[in-house]
Amino acid sequence: MNTEPLKRWMCLGCGFLYDETVGSAEHGLAPGTRWADVPEEWVCPDCGTPKHLFEMVEIPYAPGQPVLRPMV
Amino acid sequence: MTTSFVLAANERGYNRFLSTGDASSYIAGHPDATVTRYSSFDFGPYQNGRRGFGRMRVFGDELFSGLGCGYNIHRHHNFIICAFVLKGQLTHINTVGNIDQLSAGDYYAFSAGAGGKHSELNLRSEDANIIYIWILPDQLLLPPSYARGRFDAVNERNRLVTLIGNADGALRTGQDIKVSRIASNRALSLEYVLGAEDHGVYVFAIEGQAWVNDTSLSRRDSTGIWGGGKRIKLRTGVEDTDLLIVESAP
Repeated sequence: MNTEPLKRWMCLGCGFLYDETVGSAEHGLAPGTRWADVPEEWVCPDCGTPKHLFEMVEIPYAPGQPVLRPMV
Repeated sequence: MTTSFVLAANERGYNRFLSTGDASSYIAGHPDATVTRYSSFDFGPYQNGRRGFGRMRVFGDELFSGLGCGYNIHRHHNFIICAFVLKGQLTHINTVGNIDQLSAGDYYAFSAGAGGKHSELNLRSEDANIIYIWILPDQLLLPPSYARGRFDAVNERNRLVTLIGNADGALRTGQDIKVSRIASNRALSLEYVLGAEDHGVYVFAIEGQAWVNDTSLSRRDSTGIWGGGKRIKLRTGVEDTDLLIVESAP
């Protein structure tokens, strides 16, 4: 089992955030999906920037964030 | 140990976008409108391996040519996008609720935070030249915000002025970054004092001639320095010179 802490990745084309903890339900990525397991052909849903142009960030959330959306 | 780089004006990334064809949903304006962008760091189609400088990710020297030229409204998160108008007029529209017109000397900081859209337009027939800087936030998904400021090149001539950072009259971003500017009309020699030993400084020559420590910069050249101590020597040429200085934490 992967015991690495879950990480956050930011799109350098627009700032879209992918948090491994949260995943991205609307884009078919379940909570806990590691960045390495996101398909290589996946692109930023907001601006189309390719996956390899995301940067791992160690920036804390603002108070009250993230707002978790219920899974459907 | 000091590490530094010098980026000559003609070594920067260059992209030109038309308002017609593939980029038409992104680029605004009449059919002859073009956006030209010189990038100091990796951005969009320009990828050369220099990702940014400290907390700064994008430094774009952009020209909006043609009526209505610019960027159609598009979405951002997190980045604090700063624009410094050098020439012409910029109309900025954002989903915070601002429709703003900025002229030479005006600047803004738009923090996209939890999600915001903006449009950048030149509604005049004269070209608009704008420097865009993107800053990483100190917190993710902050409430979006917008603020504007003005650099008065005449009344503040020959003086180093803080535009963004913790100083009177400057815009605050929350990030450990400071943007300053100096416009001179004579040879000046001054020291730039960094806020902390581990900070770096990136100096971009908007116009004129300058020396940063012993590095000579001409128009649109730039240099970045890490580990050079807390004091950087700046000199400007005898002709009109205009420098934008970004100091950042690592």
